[in-house]
Amino acid sequence: MAEQRARLWAVLAPPALWLGALLVAPLVLLCGYSFRSGIGGSLFGDWIVTLDNYRTLAATPSFLELLGVSIGIALVVALAATLLAYPVAYYLVFRVRARAGMYVALLLVPFWISYLLRVMAWKVILGSGGAVNAFLLWLGLIREPISVFFYSRFAVVITLIYVWTPFVALPIMATLYRIDRSVLEAAASLGATPGQRFWRVTVPLSLPGVLAGVVMVFIPTVGEYVTPLLVGGSTGAMYGNLIQDFFGRSANWPLGAALAVVMLVGTLVLVGATSRISQVERFIR
Amino acid sequence: MQQHLGRWPLPVTLATLVVLACGGEKKPQPAASAALTPETTGTLTVLDWAGYEDTSMFIGFHQKYPKVTVSVAFGESDADIFGKMKAGADACVFHPYTGWQPFYVRDGLVQELDTTRLSHWAEVPARFKALGQVNGKQYFIPWDWGFTSILYRTDKVPGGIDSWNALFDPKYKGHISMWDDGPGAVTIATYVKGWDETKLTEPQLAEIEHMWTAQRKLNRFYWTGEPELVQGMASGEIWVAYAWQGAYNTLLGQGVPVAYAQPKEKRNSWVGLYGISSACKDTNLAYGFLDEKLSAEQGTTLISSFAYGHVNPAAAKGVTDTNIVKALSLNDPAVLDRTLFTPLVSEADRDHFGQLWARVKAAQ
Amino acid sequence: MRERTWPLPTYYFTLLALLYLPLVILLVFAFNSGTILVFPLKGLTLRWFHQLFATEALMRSLRNSLLVAAGSSVVATVLATCGAIAFVRFRFKGKGLFITVALLPLYVPFVVLGVSLLLLFSTLGIPRSLLTIGAAHSVVALPYALLIVTARLVGFDPHLEEAAMSLGANYAHTLRRVILPLIAPAIVAAWLTAFTVSFDEFAIANLLVGREPTLPVYLYSQLRMTTRLPLVVAMAALVMVGTLSIFVALVWLRRVLARTPVSAAARA
Repeated sequence: MAEQRARLWAVLAPPALWLGALLVAPLVLLCGYSFRSGIGGSLFGDWIVTLDNYRTLAATPSFLELLGVSIGIALVVALAATLLAYPVAYYLVFRVRARAGMYVALLLVPFWISYLLRVMAWKVILGSGGAVNAFLLWLGLIREPISVFFYSRFAVVITLIYVWTPFVALPIMATLYRIDRSVLEAAASLGATPGQRFWRVTVPLSLPGVLAGVVMVFIPTVGEYVTPLLVGGSTGAMYGNLIQDFFGRSANWPLGAALAVVMLVGTLVLVGATSRISQVERFIR
Repeated sequence: MQQHLGRWPLPVTLATLVVLACGGEKKPQPAASAALTPETTGTLTVLDWAGYEDTSMFIGFHQKYPKVTVSVAFGESDADIFGKMKAGADACVFHPYTGWQPFYVRDGLVQELDTTRLSHWAEVPARFKALGQVNGKQYFIPWDWGFTSILYRTDKVPGGIDSWNALFDPKYKGHISMWDDGPGAVTIATYVKGWDETKLTEPQLAEIEHMWTAQRKLNRFYWTGEPELVQGMASGEIWVAYAWQGAYNTLLGQGVPVAYAQPKEKRNSWVGLYGISSACKDTNLAYGFLDEKLSAEQGTTLISSFAYGHVNPAAAKGVTDTNIVKALSLNDPAVLDRTLFTPLVSEADRDHFGQLWARVKAAQ
Repeated sequence: MRERTWPLPTYYFTLLALLYLPLVILLVFAFNSGTILVFPLKGLTLRWFHQLFATEALMRSLRNSLLVAAGSSVVATVLATCGAIAFVRFRFKGKGLFITVALLPLYVPFVVLGVSLLLLFSTLGIPRSLLTIGAAHSVVALPYALLIVTARLVGFDPHLEEAAMSLGANYAHTLRRVILPLIAPAIVAAWLTAFTVSFDEFAIANLLVGREPTLPVYLYSQLRMTTRLPLVVAMAALVMVGTLSIFVALVWLRRVLARTPVSAAARA
């Protein structure tokens, strides 16, 4: 079976090596770098192992609070997007059925169009000089542009919900598809009303997909830094901005690495905890 | 009916990729001979501030060597530029400001200059030359100078502004914009408090952090580039801002009613420097670039178009519109002595200020 | 039994309208002759589109994005196909580990991926450039490509390959003439997906950009200058149209995929 082994290595080696070099190695390097002390001197010399960066992190309440806030924002965004997307998924699977393809396509088009452009569109519409304020001013409903729409944490949350809602319909749809209609028919024949069928059969059975959707939105959103940069202003910054700052203008890579490692570990733990019900894992099996 | 598309997509894509790659990123040209000619080609990489990519900022170089491409990457602040240079930015020439020179030397990021290769060097006054020296060696050329003060909309702030404290004034809540830079923020706080930036104690630093954390609620956004600030002020979103005089000049040109304050604590002032990175291989283009930057003609363009001071005294003579020159005393470098010049701070302080700012921005 | 049928369709179409509204407004502004993005429109013009093609920096960044997307998507697709074949057709220890690592970019925030690659390239002394961005994008796109190709491969009978080989073909030949043609639609779909992922990616590109920006990085730098905004908006309109065409191509491909026996299982 040496031939079999050789064939396996021929196909497995390229992706394994590529991922090892460009995914695993950098993450390991990141972890190692977070234990480096000192920010002066050459970037890679003078390597003294220390827990200082983690101590600094633990001792700075605002960093941890910001992490908490970012988790909160991500949770709100994930839940809101999922809630908004659920009726759409239900509609497409149970009502539209066969022609759902076209409807899904229509839903996904905004998601496929550049993320940056969609956030920019938001900026155009909601800014002080933007369409919404211009409209409201013109109507005479307000005398001064409403500023909370923009350059605020509120703006970040709304923008992120807007960005993610189309996408999160997909895993929900996938689970709804898998629900055996005969179960619903049986419930109906036992006298359950449509409402009862929905809340007692459909919803519980669709929860894995819902959870997968929530996780799929939550994880990237925790580390968001782009949307806060564009629409967050002074108060809308998130944890990702902190990391980006330390790798950029504040030039403190070890501390930035420590911050990144904390977030990495947190998200991996979360994913591990939900992996049994995660859509992807089930699909793999 | 066969449902596959055949095997053509992959080979065609690969072929396309190869073709595209051949026409791809410009490879660095081999080092030109020492003398630059109008036929010289190549690419010069510059790490500069937003707005300085305009060809009028290096007009002499562009006119003399039109075939050279100047490729500009941006930094948002000195801290940002320093961070990028440390990270190994692919830039031959970079543009820090006073206060940061020693760090580049200490970390081996800049090469010592051979001033004999700069034909305009003799025209630069000694006081400016000295600013580019570290440990007695010339590492930078001085180039532009100017002020930091408070820029404000005269129609929104009819009473005028006479103190740096305006940036912390709740009257302007939601309409203030501060520059996104920790060291800059600390400097301003010391003006308001009357402290010495180079000798700050722990309680003083804590107080500064507290000031800026409270200010965050009044601040609309932290600007990272002058164009962003100009847009914010022009649209009326920002009434009061930490700004350099370039923004003042630009807004006046757009017809926006603004004024540039003379705070009782005095304005801040600085000098900009250009250096050649130690990683730069082909220094011919870099020296040509720096040399043309020092010329009087370039200085005149800088003063007339952007209202920044230039180190070459002959530059001011060519300026025709004298209003800005008078308003900012751009023909009299001694004005820098009557303002609060940005001091050199220690490396430890620089990093403390950076972390302080990170905490300010993270505070809830 | 007739249920109330109007709330759901209304909901769907309202949501759709809300999703499209900002994009439509943006598109409208691309034809607006004023430079400030407010209503009422000043007049209609194609001026910005002309100026767009004349703006060298913008065109260069577009070219850069196309280059990076082309390169990284090809790499991601090739590697994903290899990985899919290894995963579906072979048994080996560490399968779980492999798939976990391959799908890791789906679970790691982009900012973490970006800074860790920044660290790697700095350690190795590799300056930031389009190549570094391309390398990062190939890693980020790989999970998507892998999932698409695996889905297709899973549905095919391994006996097909055995049959081919028993007729005398060696494995390489079997691969080329039997397996690859059958999963070709999935490969193309994976490639298109990887292309779109890379073309639009900003978070990591922003961290790894050298002196040549990609289109999103360039657009971002221009977003802060009002006078350039109409150009950016015109570019946005063009990108929308471009992405839309790729999307239509993908939808068509899915219909092609759907006509095979594995439609139900593959469509996840």
